Amino acid sequence: MSSNEHSHSNSLFQGIVTFVVLAFLTAVEFFIAITNASLLLLTTVAFIKAGIVVYYYMHIYKLFEDEDEHAHDHNSFAWKLATNRLGLWLFIVSDAFLFGGLLVARFNLLGLTRPHLDQVLGLGVTAALLLSSFFMNRAETLMAQGDRKGFVTSAAITLLLGLGFFLGVVFVEWPNAAHEGLTASGSAAGAVFYMMTGMHAFHVLTGLIFLGIIIRNALRGHYSAEQHWAVEAATVYWHFVDVVWIFFYPALYLIGRLGG
Amino acid sequence: MKNSSSRGFITSLLFLVGGLVAGLLLGVILHALTTGKFSANYFTDVPSWMLGFLVGALAFFYGLLGYNGVVRGLVWQVVGTLSGAAFVTLVRWILDTVGGGEYTLFDLRNYGLSEPAWVFGGLVGALSFMAGVGAVGDWFKWAKGDETHDHHPEEPTWRTYFGVSLDHKVIGIQYTMTSLLMLSVGGLFALIFRTELALRLKPDGPSMDIISLNLYNSLMSLHGMVMIVSILLGIAGVINYLVPLLIGAKDMAFPRMNAFSYWVTIPAAVLLLGSLGFGGFDTGWTGYPPLATRAPLGMQMFYLGVWVAGWSSILGALNLITTVLRMRAKGMTAFKMPIFVWASLATSLISLTATQMIGLAFQLSMFQRLFGMPFFDVAKGGNPILFQHLFWFYSHPVVYVFVLPGLGVISELLPVFVRKPLFGYKWVAMSSIGIALVGFLVWAHHMFTSGMNEYLRVPFMYATLLVAVPTGVKFFSWVATLWQGKITREMPTPFLFLLGGIVVFLLGGLTGPPNATVATDLHLHDTYFIVGHFHDTMFGGYIFPFFAALYYWFPKATGKRLNETLGKWHFWLMTPSFLILTLGMMRIGLLGMRRRIADFDPTLGFDAWHVILTISAFGIALAVLIFFFNIYKTLKSSEKATGNIWDSRSPEWQVPSPMPAYNYEKEFEVVGEPYDYGLPGSTYVKM
Ligand code: HEM
Ligand SMILES: [Cu+2]
Repeated sequence: MSSNEHSHSNSLFQGIVTFVVLAFLTAVEFFIAITNASLLLLTTVAFIKAGIVVYYYMHIYKLFEDEDEHAHDHNSFAWKLATNRLGLWLFIVSDAFLFGGLLVARFNLLGLTRPHLDQVLGLGVTAALLLSSFFMNRAETLMAQGDRKGFVTSAAITLLLGLGFFLGVVFVEWPNAAHEGLTASGSAAGAVFYMMTGMHAFHVLTGLIFLGIIIRNALRGHYSAEQHWAVEAATVYWHFVDVVWIFFYPALYLIGRLGG
Repeated sequence: MKNSSSRGFITSLLFLVGGLVAGLLLGVILHALTTGKFSANYFTDVPSWMLGFLVGALAFFYGLLGYNGVVRGLVWQVVGTLSGAAFVTLVRWILDTVGGGEYTLFDLRNYGLSEPAWVFGGLVGALSFMAGVGAVGDWFKWAKGDETHDHHPEEPTWRTYFGVSLDHKVIGIQYTMTSLLMLSVGGLFALIFRTELALRLKPDGPSMDIISLNLYNSLMSLHGMVMIVSILLGIAGVINYLVPLLIGAKDMAFPRMNAFSYWVTIPAAVLLLGSLGFGGFDTGWTGYPPLATRAPLGMQMFYLGVWVAGWSSILGALNLITTVLRMRAKGMTAFKMPIFVWASLATSLISLTATQMIGLAFQLSMFQRLFGMPFFDVAKGGNPILFQHLFWFYSHPVVYVFVLPGLGVISELLPVFVRKPLFGYKWVAMSSIGIALVGFLVWAHHMFTSGMNEYLRVPFMYATLLVAVPTGVKFFSWVATLWQGKITREMPTPFLFLLGGIVVFLLGGLTGPPNATVATDLHLHDTYFIVGHFHDTMFGGYIFPFFAALYYWFPKATGKRLNETLGKWHFWLMTPSFLILTLGMMRIGLLGMRRRIADFDPTLGFDAWHVILTISAFGIALAVLIFFFNIYKTLKSSEKATGNIWDSRSPEWQVPSPMPAYNYEKEFEVVGEPYDYGLPGSTYVKM
């Protein structure tokens, strides 16, 4: 009991530290952007942030964990879990190329200029997504501790924050930008902006659906501390969408000077 | 219950003819309705014929199967397409009515509905197909929190192949059959436009004799992409059938995803071929803007079809990598894996990642047409060269997707036929991975004349020449393996195809460096020399080894051996025809024959050459027909070949043919080296 309590508060502590570091780095990014908007510095910070998420939130090291002796039994849960994990990560690698291609398009077309966007809103949606990652991490940890109720609460908060991000981008930021004259058909900058945010928003939407499914199933009594692959998959996917935004946010809002 | 819905083959053929006529008539009527007048010319119009083919195919399969499997998928696809298109039309109409504008519900010249409507319809249609055929049902159950039963493999009947099955052997054969079908369609297209090139019925001036310029361009463009899809399906077929057998797995890691990957290619193929019915397109298989921006609606169907097919590649690759990494038999360490498994792994690494780039390139171009997003429009700050970069970042590495499995087949089978160990196993294994990795660094050699930054030319030139190193390793290994091998006098057909593959691929490889060298490529680019080059690489690296694999493993899948005499006819007709075809192409290419043009200046003096090339093309087609006849004849015959007829050491031949539904009754263990042929006392697997 007490050791359980201990690991409980321990993981909470780790989640909070990770979140604070990420928030701090985002502030640093913003500061760099105001002072010199250096491509090199901003890219470096983005990679550090992504690395932290990939390790502490997505637990990439689980891919390389040694399996127990039942590992060769292809009907065992442990074997299936490890296989599913590999499959999911391969999917993420593939998807990352799609987003990488979008970044290539952005720098090819716009170079070191960036579109005129609402900075407050940009920081706002970024914060919402960052916060959602914290709660997603809480949700997964709680499920791993067998706390289904805690899981549902945290996952629901994640879902709301994600929804906030989605609505903020599509129904506030887009009309805003269009109002400022940045339209999808007007210029390459507009096309790039809507394409990148649109493709990302589409992934957020699929993540939200995924979240909705696991919350519903958890409410109906599915998943346990030992067996909750769907929860883990949704979590890893959600954090991946966050990682994408870690690169998209500076690429769209911070890097370079304002262009026409 | 089982046979009540099936009407026999002959009746189904009647259905086919009836459907064709009905579809054609429907097309003509729609045509007359949308234009408001009737003309007998409509009977020769391509869209009407495409509708005829669609309805005919549907009727044929309905006759054969009843409302099941693929038939239900196709019906759902048609219904889904129309509903999706109607939905967009409705939404636009409502938005416009609310906005007070006057939106015309039907744009009569454009197939009744607007371009966004058809594109969205096409997407909904593809998804509907997947639901209709039954390839996604289990996932919905999982999302609802329901359990599904893991499948218990049973012996397949011919009907199994027309519906969703989770057995990797069934899926492998489904892929292969679909690949051969696409090969025939793509080949037919080539014969049509090659005939056009050979004819010059009007002696002076430009001459289009049997088809229009638009149809020429559309068939030429589709020939390229249909063949590429056919190759991707073919390698997926061989990989799916073989890899689990070679590594001793019961199935692929994700059987449902495997079925999904196969079935999604069917709506993709329908979309791709459907582009002919939507006005075709004239960009060639590369789909470059700005031409693509102005092409007919068929361009969008082409883009969409390729985009959907891309998901098959990506998910198939994901599945294969997971299978190889997680499901190998006991004792099969990395350097005891068969070379074909190494090659499949290398191929899949490319498919998994690079495919996203062509998907993105095509998607951006689609969006430019749909929403006016000016990605490639210079006037608004776009850049058409960006498209080429994204496109070739996939389309160069993908040439290794085509050839690596084929080269793997050559390395896999040569030792069996020469009864000697494979020379330099480790080097050959690593060369596949090496080719795959270096292949990512060379894409801009397709763009030397595109106007990209000039300083990029030389690095890409050297990077390209570097690929020759790991490729050379393979050749060295083959030659050294053949050296002093025990080759029997009556060389079995698969062995012939292996040797043919080596020679032809050598020709393809040798004609690569001149294209990769900037100074020479400025002259060679966009000539028939390039066409000759890549046909050599694809035939040598894929077609020949693919046929070798089919002859070699056909007995494993069916328990019957393909007829040797017909096989020899196939080989000895195809090889010379093919060599004349591509060497001729290269010759007139060097003399200035441009590629992708429907007609050429008669004063160039290429008329006789084009006649020769066309005759050779028909020679290849005839050879493939002999192969089909061979399959038919062999399946009819009662002669059995159930044993280890090639005297192979590989595990799949240690059990009787055809392969049992459960693969291996007990797991085998790897105890030795895979290719120690001719070494006394050596064993590879302990059953
Ligand atoms: C030694 C190896 C090879 C080299 C150095 C090489 C080089 C090249 C170069 C530079 C081009 C562009 C020529 C131009 O358009 O001006 C080209 C075209 C092409 N190559 Fe290769 N190649 C090699 C092997 C292969 C292989 C193995 C394949 C496929 C199986 C292949 C397939 C193609 C195709 C399809 C094209 C034409 C693309 C188009 O439509 O423009 N090549 N090759
Ligand atoms: Cu290339």
